[in-house]
Amino acid sequence: MKLIIYILAITSLLSTADIPKNYLKKIDKEVLLVFDLKAYEKVPVNIEASVLSEMSNDFDPDGFFKIMDNENHIGYFYFGKAPSKADEFDYVVIFDEALIIKKIKILAYREDYGGEISSKRWLRQFDGSDRDSTLNYGKDIIGISGATISAVSMCKEVNCLLKDLSKLPI
Amino acid sequence: MKFKLLVAFVLLTIVTYGQQDSKQDSLRVLNRLGYNNPSKLTLGGYAQIDYNEPDGAAPGKLDVHRLVLLFGYKFSDKVSFLTEIELEHVKEVYVEQAFVNYSFSTAFNIRGGLMLVPMGYVNEYHEPPVFYGVERPGLDKYVVPTTWRELGIGATGNLQNLSMRYQAYIFNGFISYKDGEGTLRGVDGLRKGRQKGAESVIHNPNLSVKFDYYGILGLKVGLAGYFGETQSDDPSVEGSTVGVSMVGLNASYNLKNLDFRGQYIYSSLSGTEDYNNLTGKDLGSKMDGFYIEAAYDFMPLISKNSTKQLSLFSRYETYNTHAATAGDLEQNKAFDRQDITFGCDFKIAPGVAVKADYQWRTDAVEDSNRSNLFNAGVGVMF
Repeated sequence: MKLIIYILAITSLLSTADIPKNYLKKIDKEVLLVFDLKAYEKVPVNIEASVLSEMSNDFDPDGFFKIMDNENHIGYFYFGKAPSKADEFDYVVIFDEALIIKKIKILAYREDYGGEISSKRWLRQFDGSDRDSTLNYGKDIIGISGATISAVSMCKEVNCLLKDLSKLPI
Repeated sequence: MKFKLLVAFVLLTIVTYGQQDSKQDSLRVLNRLGYNNPSKLTLGGYAQIDYNEPDGAAPGKLDVHRLVLLFGYKFSDKVSFLTEIELEHVKEVYVEQAFVNYSFSTAFNIRGGLMLVPMGYVNEYHEPPVFYGVERPGLDKYVVPTTWRELGIGATGNLQNLSMRYQAYIFNGFISYKDGEGTLRGVDGLRKGRQKGAESVIHNPNLSVKFDYYGILGLKVGLAGYFGETQSDDPSVEGSTVGVSMVGLNASYNLKNLDFRGQYIYSSLSGTEDYNNLTGKDLGSKMDGFYIEAAYDFMPLISKNSTKQLSLFSRYETYNTHAATAGDLEQNKAFDRQDITFGCDFKIAPGVAVKADYQWRTDAVEDSNRSNLFNAGVGVMF
């Protein structure tokens, strides 16, 4: 039994190896907050190669996890990167079990221009979007003057992610 | 015959080696540019091509006003470099920005080099599709000397929980006295004193800070301050420098198709009486101004799902570089200006704006002879 737990722990560590440790802490905090939990387990989602081939190249399967509360599957999260004006920023999208967006959080924004997209109120506009949604910048998502490149980038990223996830047989 | 063959062989060998060398050189260059890892390199830029025609008999002017090329390189997750090379009026070359950024976290970055001074809205966001109108607002030219950049070092970051961005820098300041002559004057205040990082003189560091709050959806408010003293290439000359204190408040609010912007700038200059006596200049001791602007995007009414934007806008601005003068210097009423601009920005794609506007321009002089201006142009950023 101990061996199985050990293997599971190692597997879990390896599977989240692409996500920096300090980000994992932030992601854990957000997941616990969103689902009002004290603890949870993240499980990598195995996506079949045939399904993966239908997704865009931007989709990173190593950043996609199931959120488990004991034995109950309650949601997902996706860790990704998107371009800003002259750099890239890191974000996490937290979904419920039906892949409806519950929260987006910017984990790291590295340049001055466009940092306004980390505003909670601005990001809240994406909440409730599902795999059938296509969000129009400037209409569904209010623009931010001086942060157009990053705001458009975030909007495109979410649209692309939702489209990719629509390929999943869930 | 043998000699000719030998010459031909030698030539062929040289050409072949030469081609290999140039191919390897190209590969080396491509590698340096991040060819093997494109995500490290950013290429971008912006351009502004204008047509300006004053009322009256004066001819119009067509100009590639500015073409700016941006290069960014990311050495690691923490270290990056960004530069903008500007070609102004085709023939003048400047470096607009060139700085190294070390990112400790989203909330704390250290950067140093040639950077934009954060004051008002347009100095930082001066790409043509970002502001309304063909030309930048007069307030952002005559009071805030856009594009205002100097060499310096500082800290910047986004405090996500507070929805606030902060910037704090120590910059080199304006040069007010060079080669035995004054550089600053009444008509455009500090504009001619920008050193732009070119063999700049420093003996008085200047402090620049700005806070931007973006916690309310659609609203962004910025408060900036700049405090210090100008530079002189001969500081032993009394009265060759002036003290500079500038504060700026800017706000923008986006509500569906409506876009509102406003800005107020106040600048106080000390020691201008001695400076004017020394140099024979007419520098004011106080400069100020404000503008308010509203724009409405009609495109959603024409085509609901269009990515284009068709905005009509209007801007009222007033700015005075002689709001006060020191000593015997009389206030020049021609420097107390008012511009009303009405025009159209048609964004045919995100990042490409075709613009046209008309500016009613007056000043406080009785029977002002400031001419009105028709402007048209194209602005691009990518």
